[in-house]
Amino acid sequence: MASIGGIPSYILEFGDELVYFTPYTITLFLLALTFTVLVIISRPERQVDIAFGGDAYRAKEISLSEMRFRRFMAIACGLASMGAMVTGDIFNFTLFTAMVGITNVGIVAAVKSPHVQDAAYQYGLVALSATVPLFAGAAVYAAATGSLSMIELMKGTLPAVPLIAKAMLVIGVVGEGMAPFYAAKAEMFRAPGAPYVIMCSLSSLLIFLRVVEVVLLG
Amino acid sequence: MWGNYSYGLLVIMIAAVIAFFALAREHDDLHKLLLIDLVEIISLGIIALLGTDLAEALILPGLTVGIAELLALSQIYCTKERIRAAPVKGLNIEVITKADAPLILSVFLVVYGMVLSGFTGGAVAGLGLVFLFISRSYREELNLLEMASGISWALWIFAFFVFMFLPEYWFIALMGAAIGILLKVTVKMSLVGTMWGENHG
Repeated sequence: MASIGGIPSYILEFGDELVYFTPYTITLFLLALTFTVLVIISRPERQVDIAFGGDAYRAKEISLSEMRFRRFMAIACGLASMGAMVTGDIFNFTLFTAMVGITNVGIVAAVKSPHVQDAAYQYGLVALSATVPLFAGAAVYAAATGSLSMIELMKGTLPAVPLIAKAMLVIGVVGEGMAPFYAAKAEMFRAPGAPYVIMCSLSSLLIFLRVVEVVLLG
Repeated sequence: MWGNYSYGLLVIMIAAVIAFFALAREHDDLHKLLLIDLVEIISLGIIALLGTDLAEALILPGLTVGIAELLALSQIYCTKERIRAAPVKGLNIEVITKADAPLILSVFLVVYGMVLSGFTGGAVAGLGLVFLFISRSYREELNLLEMASGISWALWIFAFFVFMFLPEYWFIALMGAAIGILLKVTVKMSLVGTMWGENHG
């Protein structure tokens, strides 16, 4: 039962939807939880533009409703990340990952800047097409082993998971906002509002750290 | 099983390659969105290839997530291109109004839907109601339908709780869930069919 995450210390079985905590996942979960609480209680920054070559600067005006929407999306993103950290089901993991993708778009979509909206749209297209390898990976997991439960995969009694399933799962997660596709996301960071925008990067990082553990199972 | 499965997988992978190729060649943002919808269906196809109850249970959340992403992107597209909603008053579909035929067809669909029961039955019965609402020109009282949808959804969830905590009463839970989902899908589909394009609230 040993894996990269360590021995599960607590398994919550709820039908076939199970949740388990290992030292690895609980660390990631606490990180997501802390940051979500931080997003809930913190006041957003005001972006200041400094004119190049001079000492003039101006603060951007951001409406309250826009900030409210973005805070809501950042909290939803935090919840989805927490879910992805503790879930013990491959398909639930892919669903949470897809949800992180949508909420990442949502965090910046309310910004009234054409650059940011364009970037959010392009990133959304990449995230949406990434659901194909993501769900396909989960489906091949189920087809090859007959189970989607990570606890069952950990036991090592099931048939080996084909490499293609693992590869597709990783490509799917990468498409939701990691390295090569990150270019589409970079422009989104022109959006003002510090704690919310950082949620985009943090959630992608957490999801990637979790998928490393998932892929090494079974 | 694995042999048939891999053939199916091969076909769907070819479909995926074609869809992604089209996506790479397309430059118009709106067309890209439409193509993405096709790509999304491929991912559901891969899950459907499993051909088990589990696949059916996985398609529904997959579809929901796909639709949610599509709705979000369409909204961003509208904001990005500054597209405003044009007021639409009802659907201009030419169907003979106040005739008997739509009523008979609708009754047939609703009764057949009830016989089928469950999710599929709800969809069939809902289609019957949509057909009736479209072919009749008068306005329906939609609030009542919304309430019925909410209550039947609560019934469905309640039945699930009975399954989990009082498994010995499984039969009543099964009946509750079947009726709940039938009513909910029926009402929801008729609402979707009637409400779109109109301004409510």
